[in-house]
Amino acid sequence: MTDVPAIEVRGITRVFESRKGFLFREHTRTEALRGVDLTVRSGSIYGLLGPNGAGKTTLVKILSTLLLPTSGTARVLGHDVVEDSDWLRPRIGLVLGGERGLYNRVSARDNLRYFADLYGLPGAEREERITAVLERVDLVSAADRRVEEFSRGMKQKLHIARGILHRPQVLFLDEPTIGLDPKSARETRKLVRSLVSDGVTILLTTHYMFEAEELCPEIAVLSKGRIVAHDTVAGLRQLVGGDRTLEAEAYGFEDREVELLHRLPGVSKVVSEEYGPRTRLTLRLRSPETTASDVEAALPGHSELSVRERRTSLEDVYLDLVEEEAR
Amino acid sequence: MSTVELPRISRTRATSASLRLSFLMFMADPQWLIPSMIAPVVFGLVAFELFRGSGPYFLTYAILGAGMMSMWGQTLYGSGWAIGQDREFGTLEPTVQSPTPYVYVVLGRVLWNVVSGLIGGAIVYLVVLAAAGSPPTVPDPIGFVVLFVFVMLTLASVGILFSAAWVYTRYSGFIQNVGEFAFYIGTGCMFPVVLLPFWTNPIALVFPPTWALDALRYLAIPGYVGFGWGFWPDIAGAILTTAIYVAIAGTVFKRVELHVLSKGDLSDY
Ligand SMILES: Nc1ncnc2c1ncn2[C@@H]1O[C@H](COP(=O)(O)OP(=O)(O)O)[C@@H](O)[C@H]1O
Ligand SMILES: [Mg+2]
Repeated sequence: MTDVPAIEVRGITRVFESRKGFLFREHTRTEALRGVDLTVRSGSIYGLLGPNGAGKTTLVKILSTLLLPTSGTARVLGHDVVEDSDWLRPRIGLVLGGERGLYNRVSARDNLRYFADLYGLPGAEREERITAVLERVDLVSAADRRVEEFSRGMKQKLHIARGILHRPQVLFLDEPTIGLDPKSARETRKLVRSLVSDGVTILLTTHYMFEAEELCPEIAVLSKGRIVAHDTVAGLRQLVGGDRTLEAEAYGFEDREVELLHRLPGVSKVVSEEYGPRTRLTLRLRSPETTASDVEAALPGHSELSVRERRTSLEDVYLDLVEEEAR
Repeated sequence: MSTVELPRISRTRATSASLRLSFLMFMADPQWLIPSMIAPVVFGLVAFELFRGSGPYFLTYAILGAGMMSMWGQTLYGSGWAIGQDREFGTLEPTVQSPTPYVYVVLGRVLWNVVSGLIGGAIVYLVVLAAAGSPPTVPDPIGFVVLFVFVMLTLASVGILFSAAWVYTRYSGFIQNVGEFAFYIGTGCMFPVVLLPFWTNPIALVFPPTWALDALRYLAIPGYVGFGWGFWPDIAGAILTTAIYVAIAGTVFKRVELHVLSKGDLSDY
């Protein structure tokens, strides 16, 4: 049984059709997922990384039996998410997070009691288990306060507490740190890391590369409804050519100059970004021929020009992947 | 993997958890006081004026009329509203995602509305009593109370089906989707305003409370004619129609769930 992947997704698509307006109906059709394949082995944290609107939440909802796919199949713990949803529901946990999804007018403990009952936690075990998860997420002292008094970070902890209450074997965490202040986000990441020691398989979505890198040994990059890369962190680093990047900054560049940089040997890509009055050109290098001084030489006449070399970061890799898909 | 022992889902526990949560939410939100406490007072006074002087049992008429007004609204509107609230709070998603079939959660919400409907009925009784200065003549007070609760339960069965509409669609699309929904329940006439012509309109026979209320009138008002077929056929009709509603609710909820899972708007409101 242990060689059955915790999550197995084959060719999943999902189309949203929506109608707006009463008299003059407006039809919109969104292809949120366009054929996703994914395999997550048991007992790890798998990162699903992608920008807003990539389809992360859609995929998580399909896997947690809250949404039907338009086509394709998905299995969790070896069971089909559509056919076997009754079997799966008690065995999986879902944390959508955010301001909504909790009963704000009652206490954290009463929220957990309600869901514990819906998950059939036996009466005697219920209170014990609730105290245990509250300790786990560090909410014991606030347990009897109304949720509406909670900060964003505390609500997120309560969402996670609810998600793990029934000891799921697979846990879906949809952007667990979104909207949190840096301190709460750090605490939440620490909490997520600690969950793996329970042996639970986690599928975590995020739009921060650093978060995926910090938490997830394996990452899939989702862009516009497609997986554009999936690999280990090390593998992803190698994915987009050489490991060096050059940056040139000055008060504006001409198109002609950008073209010129493009033609330097080994340059695979030039990205231009504005920073107030300054412009930064980022050159991705496929091979080592071109150096910082070559770039300086190619851009004469800029009095405030600065050129530096740095290691290609995973963030660069991610942006490359997501942009390539966009073109 | 599949050797892990799972807790058994208890329908009774899920239903009582939902009932308990409804109570906690009620206690935490004073806006509920208006429909559940003030409306019965108004209904009671209006009914008293309306039926005054219309025979020896006018007090019973007033109590039943006003009681039904307040309970009908409380049970039906209240049940639907509870689900609408779940949508608004975003709690419909985690609730549907839990292993408990949603219909048991709805049952708990509806039972809470039965309880608060009964409180409303008691208020109506006290108001009419205070206005009249003397208690109404009821031949069989215990039977009256038992049948009153019975009427509430038949109302609850309608409330459960009504709630399905709220799971089915968010409020803003409600009117548009009524026609579609009616197809699901197979009757096409679940939502007409049947408050006043309740016992005169034969269409009302598709509503379990119509039968139960007719029986209640037989019991409370000597010489009452009603549908004319007598007390026990009324009870049988009430039980039968309620059973049909409950059976429909069982299948409708599964279908409604599939519908919303394919539409994907469980968190819209
Ligand atoms: N219920 C819905 N109805 C219509 N469109 C939707 C719905 N849910 C998501 N979408 C669309 O599907 C796409 C993917 O959304 P989502 O899965 O939420 O992305 P992410 O979580 O990666 O930000 C977006 O274009 C979004 O607007
Ligand atoms: Mg999302």
